[in-house]
Amino acid sequence: MRALGAFWFTVLLLPPIMALAVLEPFGQRMVALVGIYALMGLGYQLVFGQLGALNLAQGALFGLGAYAAALTAPALGGLALAVAILAAAIPAAIVAAATLRLQSHYFALATLALASIANLLAVHGEGLTGGANGLTGFTASLPRGPLLLAMVWICLIAGVLLYAHLFRGGLGEKARLLRQAPLVAATLGVDGGRWRLAAFVVGGGLAGLAGAFSAAVSGVVSPEATGFSVMVLCLTSVVLGGARHPMGAVLGAAIAVCLPELLRDLQGAWLLAYAVATLAVVRWAPEGLAGLLDGLRGAGVEEPSTPVLPETLPPIAGAQRLTIESVVKRFGGVEALAGVSFTVERGEIVGLIGPNGSGKTTLLNAISGLEPADAGTIGLDDRPIERLAAHLIARAGVGRTFQTPMLEGDTHRIELARVVSTGAAFLLLDEPAAGATDLERDQLALLLRRLRESGRAILIVDHDIELLTRICGRLVCLDRGRVIAAGRPAEVRADARVRASFLGLAEAAA
Amino acid sequence: MAYALVALGFVLALNASGAVNFAHGDLVVLGGATAVVGGLWSGLAGPLLLPLVALALGAAGIVAARVAILPLAARPPEATFVATIALAAIIEQGLTVTMGAAPRTAPSLLGSGSFDVAGLVLGRQPFAIVVVGAALVAAVWFLLERTQTGRRMRAVSSDRHMAHAVGIPVSRYIILSLALAGALAGVAGLLLGHQFLVAPTQGAGHMLKAYIAVALGGWGSVPGALLAALGIGAFETFISAGFGDAWASAALYISVLVVLAVRPQGLFGEPLGRRA
Repeated sequence: MRALGAFWFTVLLLPPIMALAVLEPFGQRMVALVGIYALMGLGYQLVFGQLGALNLAQGALFGLGAYAAALTAPALGGLALAVAILAAAIPAAIVAAATLRLQSHYFALATLALASIANLLAVHGEGLTGGANGLTGFTASLPRGPLLLAMVWICLIAGVLLYAHLFRGGLGEKARLLRQAPLVAATLGVDGGRWRLAAFVVGGGLAGLAGAFSAAVSGVVSPEATGFSVMVLCLTSVVLGGARHPMGAVLGAAIAVCLPELLRDLQGAWLLAYAVATLAVVRWAPEGLAGLLDGLRGAGVEEPSTPVLPETLPPIAGAQRLTIESVVKRFGGVEALAGVSFTVERGEIVGLIGPNGSGKTTLLNAISGLEPADAGTIGLDDRPIERLAAHLIARAGVGRTFQTPMLEGDTHRIELARVVSTGAAFLLLDEPAAGATDLERDQLALLLRRLRESGRAILIVDHDIELLTRICGRLVCLDRGRVIAAGRPAEVRADARVRASFLGLAEAAA
Repeated sequence: MAYALVALGFVLALNASGAVNFAHGDLVVLGGATAVVGGLWSGLAGPLLLPLVALALGAAGIVAARVAILPLAARPPEATFVATIALAAIIEQGLTVTMGAAPRTAPSLLGSGSFDVAGLVLGRQPFAIVVVGAALVAAVWFLLERTQTGRRMRAVSSDRHMAHAVGIPVSRYIILSLALAGALAGVAGLLLGHQFLVAPTQGAGHMLKAYIAVALGGWGSVPGALLAALGIGAFETFISAGFGDAWASAALYISVLVVLAVRPQGLFGEPLGRRA
């Protein structure tokens, strides 16, 4: 309850208590429906709100739960609710597992295909589902009336409290990182695919449970339960209420159930109003109505503007040497890396230099697994890592920073703090000094030396060759995807080919 | 061929805005509805109605860009997804309220019936769809590949920030792409509206077919989307002739899941790399 705050806790408790104490059966039914849609919406918030993945199957999973409950209730009684949860969670698991590493738009399509298959099954599988007429007469063994209402709201209240509690702490930070910066999350060792799988399965299970409850309330299950409109209703109500706020689903569901009653004279127009309101919320109030109310109450939770470190990984004792051997990376016909080989040992700083487009960042991407190499091997001691996914490479002890747009204040230092605190033994730094002042460069040099003394290895890309000369034991110079010189900084800078390939830059710096 | 027009508009809008336009299918339906209403009011024949519907839906595309796509350009693609889903619902409900849920027939292009060409029996409407479709595809190809405007549109699709940096007014080209996408959707709506009728709820189906075509053809690839759309049309006709419509759809969706799991870059590869 502390995670939610007294205000929202009261708002959450009020409807079921009011309904059971004073409302007529019709009002109780409506409150039960609010609870049911809120339960489905809560599951939806896990995938859509927290991870930002567009799931278009929530309506179909709701429908699967409803059918499963209707089919098994005569034989199993109350256990049918558990069957409904499984009936929704299992297809969700299969689809999410098959599309684990796909980007958002493919995940959306996969869920849309799942939803379409479920709908086809409901309409055409007449022997099982009763076709267009649907199923009836199964409610005798299911909870009804006030008992049902109490069950729905107990599940919902428990779910909302758990959600508020979980996402307030480290889990919420991790989810935000996955949503806003999936690549950074991967290089910190967070497995985005597995997170999406877990969220989708749990969210699907909640949809299935909600579907079963709705079957118990209405007594009829028809193909409309699996249709696109349930899905759109779920999506819009969650967006309206607040896609991430613990109470967002509840508020959205309350509007979705009450609005059609209020606008009953306008027939289908309420859906129109609903869609317009959703569009307005997306544009002007992305945190939804719950966020707006929090703002009015002065209780708005300020989101910090930069992702904070989710978790500290233990320091890696293991590997002593990072070996890069004949690494090749092609983009179409262009060889960005044409057989690059060198090693980086613990306790040394190696500078990677080269003109723009010579393959420096591509090499860092290949090592950290963001753009796997087409050929060659990358190893930590004797363990090959070139085929591992990015989050596994991060967990093996290779951390990296990204280039940051210039003039963004502390971004550089945050990037560095982020990667250092993962406990990674090998640090890949991409232009940590870009846009920094002289003072900041001195501080950076000091920090990097301390990291080296702590036994870490650093591979650093930067254009400031003076800085690299000061701190690096060795320089490696790339040109068009090949190593053209490697060795002590003074030797590399004196190399004729390096001077030729750098031309202006090296001379300006000298 | 009509699928190909739907998919072509869909992929143009996708490339311009960087996000799926879930309202595209409903723009197709809106095109069909405009043709129905326009045909009733003006009594114009199909061929005269065609450019008018294209213009009207081009304007609708501009509205879509202004309302649901441009204001959200700086936000994650999911914001655009939700906004266009809301827009789709607005069009669908708006149509249901104004013209009712019952299906209507759009005017034909060459009249109904069929004619014989060297012993082959051709339906007049399918023939017209193929001719108009091919002409439009060729015109869009010419625009994209052979004109300065098209080059700029492609520049905006491949890297919006770079295009902006070299002085291309990005917003204007996004709006132009959406207008073109809307016009193509309108024509497709008119063409489909005669054979398959027009009903407000068809939008999701049209959108899904185009979405599938783009995913199978390689995300963002224009020729890939066209080929895949033609392939889907043939696949559906073939399976539904043998096993019925429901099986054709089911087989299509299952194939999509299999392709996504096994070869996510699409059957012909993904030209633009990481996008959303």
